[in-house]
Amino acid sequence: MKYTILFGGEAGQGPNILTNILGQALVKRGYSVFYSRDYQSLIRGGHNFNVLTFSDKPIHSNEGKIDIIVALDENTEKIHKEDLKKNGIILKGNKENMYYAGRLFRLLCIDFEMLEQELKNLKKRFDENIKEAKKGYEEEDKDFCEVKFLKKNDNVFMNGNQGISNGAVKAGLDIYYAYPMTPATSVLMELAEKQEEKEILVLELENEISIINAGIGSAMTGAKTMVGTSGGGFDLMTEGLSLAGMAEVPIVIYLSQRPGPATGVATYTGQGDLNIARHAGHGEFPRVVLAPGNPKECEELTSQAFYFSQVFGVPSIVIGDKHLAESFYTLTEKPKIEPSRKLGSMMRYNSYEKDENGSATEDPEIVKENINKRIKKFEEIAEKARKFDQFNSYGKHNSKNVIVSWGSTKGAILDSIPDLDVRFIQILHIEPFPEIKKELKDKNLILIENNATGMLGDVISEKTGMFVDDKNKILRYDGRPFLHDELKKEIEGRLKR
Amino acid sequence: MIDFSTQTKNTWCPGCFNFQILAGVKKFLEKSQIKKENLAIVTGIGCHAKMFDYLNLNGINTLHGRVLPTCLGIKVGNPNLNVIGFSGDGDAYAEGMAHLIHTARYNPDINYLVHNNQVFALTVGQPTPVSEIGYKDKTTPQGVKIHPLNPIKLMLASGASFVARVFSDVGQIEYVLQEALKHKGFSFIEVIQPCLIFHKDEHYKEKMYSLDDKGHDKTSFEQAWERAQEFDYNGVSEGTKIPLGIFYQAQKPVFEDQYPQLLNLKKKKMGWVGIRR
Repeated sequence: MKYTILFGGEAGQGPNILTNILGQALVKRGYSVFYSRDYQSLIRGGHNFNVLTFSDKPIHSNEGKIDIIVALDENTEKIHKEDLKKNGIILKGNKENMYYAGRLFRLLCIDFEMLEQELKNLKKRFDENIKEAKKGYEEEDKDFCEVKFLKKNDNVFMNGNQGISNGAVKAGLDIYYAYPMTPATSVLMELAEKQEEKEILVLELENEISIINAGIGSAMTGAKTMVGTSGGGFDLMTEGLSLAGMAEVPIVIYLSQRPGPATGVATYTGQGDLNIARHAGHGEFPRVVLAPGNPKECEELTSQAFYFSQVFGVPSIVIGDKHLAESFYTLTEKPKIEPSRKLGSMMRYNSYEKDENGSATEDPEIVKENINKRIKKFEEIAEKARKFDQFNSYGKHNSKNVIVSWGSTKGAILDSIPDLDVRFIQILHIEPFPEIKKELKDKNLILIENNATGMLGDVISEKTGMFVDDKNKILRYDGRPFLHDELKKEIEGRLKR
Repeated sequence: MIDFSTQTKNTWCPGCFNFQILAGVKKFLEKSQIKKENLAIVTGIGCHAKMFDYLNLNGINTLHGRVLPTCLGIKVGNPNLNVIGFSGDGDAYAEGMAHLIHTARYNPDINYLVHNNQVFALTVGQPTPVSEIGYKDKTTPQGVKIHPLNPIKLMLASGASFVARVFSDVGQIEYVLQEALKHKGFSFIEVIQPCLIFHKDEHYKEKMYSLDDKGHDKTSFEQAWERAQEFDYNGVSEGTKIPLGIFYQAQKPVFEDQYPQLLNLKKKKMGWVGIRR
């Protein structure tokens, strides 16, 4: 079984709380739940919607066809009814979001007690909420489907930015710096809220230039430091990134992508910043670039980013995107956190090439020696990286069809391929890049990315000498994530027998 | 006595006033008896930045314009460190302007010296935001058209809790750093520094006077504001006066003392590096 529910309304009508309540309840009943958020760059009004898909089998993405539309305003019905399935239904006519929670729980045949418990967990407006919820539960008389209790479980319902935050804290984060920028901002909120409980420091300064340089200052004292931003802010940090490369300061940078260039489509998703993650900053210096594809990997790869930075004194970039950052996933396994040491106390750092005393030097011998030392780290990092899973493999291992992708496209790909004769390789480590030449050799390669030029395809060509045929590039670049029913058709059309 | 010298060959021009500033800083360090491990220095890019090479202290010779955020990062990384930042006028008033204004607002306990020679010296003589109208070099053959910025007024308006101006003289540097050390909060110190090659400021000295000698009340913002107007950085004429000393000093909440996490580190006399998780 698999159902998809769309919650739509104006900004400020509270579709997020509503979606979350249902999601949490379904996860507790043993279902796999995924929901994504689509919202505009405004505070009140407009049209926002969340799409929740749940199943008794693992689910990691949405599909395009809707079973139930919850219309908090009139626009929602107008915009989305063409996607409604034949036997689908629309809930409308009331302004109170908890009224719809009542109707939904009744439609899905879930006991009212479970809803009551979720409303208690909200810890606000309980009396009003329960009244509205009861009204909805009593007014609804249809059984849309029976969402039976499946199994007791410890599954966790969380989004990618919660994964980044948790991963950083578990890796021993001391200080987080950020300037607000969608879609990285919720890490700032998440960590700020926890700062006293977790004994960390969270600071917002005047701009991203200040953020990266303050981060470098703190990291020099031995504090485990992370900064977070999106593409535009990352551009501003570029000068500091180069400094971290030169001064060999361990700093972790979370780069949460949205469609650019410039302000682009500010509250939507995209994967167009792979090249800046790999190449930003003047001069030649080693760095690590890691690309998680779900909240569990966000935790794991953030902890690895700290590990690489602390061991090698290099900047590490964790690259995600809006779809990963703000979508909620059902986690069934605990993440593997990589521990890392702290550096010692302060030394003499320099933005110039420096001599053995840490003073600036122009001596050609020393300059060359310094550069050789930094360049050697490329190899040393690559060797250490082999102890981790640098890529994941799913589907039919021996298939002649191989999908290659990275980041948040993972969810829709996993949900597309179960019946297909195809293997899916998800790249986790962009820098250092894994040895995958033999996995790709003589295969029908299919590239899936949320950008217009297929940037991972270029990396694969650079690292392996192999090319993905243009007609085998499935690229989406309208700011929206892949939907698995549509993606499956795209993949099917490219499979070889 | 602790030796703060390094073996690095000094490459300032012969007679450069940076030698005076360096000597003043060393004298201050020797007298103040702060332990080396409790000190961090940050320099920007320009002639002033060679201070880093000539002082055997931890810290960083960082990017142009980024001295203050780096100082702030070090301070919150270990609030027990005495952090001294050095900048040039290009560093402080051009590339790093936003940081200067905001650091004055934040008020961390950092001491900040701006070596102001009113010129980009190391890049051979281009005008900075404090060069006077009519200043010419190869990049501005028609002369500077824009009125220079008054950094003392800027700092007063930005809420800096300690605003001073001194001449690049050993005694004045040592004195003002001692006062800045006692001050809890952001200490902005502008050092008027002639550049022997590009901006000699030949007539400055005769126009200078000490605020202390005139009974200036440094706790009065109004008096500070009035004195700050006396020199507009736009060259000297007959009536010009260049006041030296502490214009303004006030107790304001200190940035790092407002976070319980950082107060805890102060109490334990360690930085985050000492926190085991």
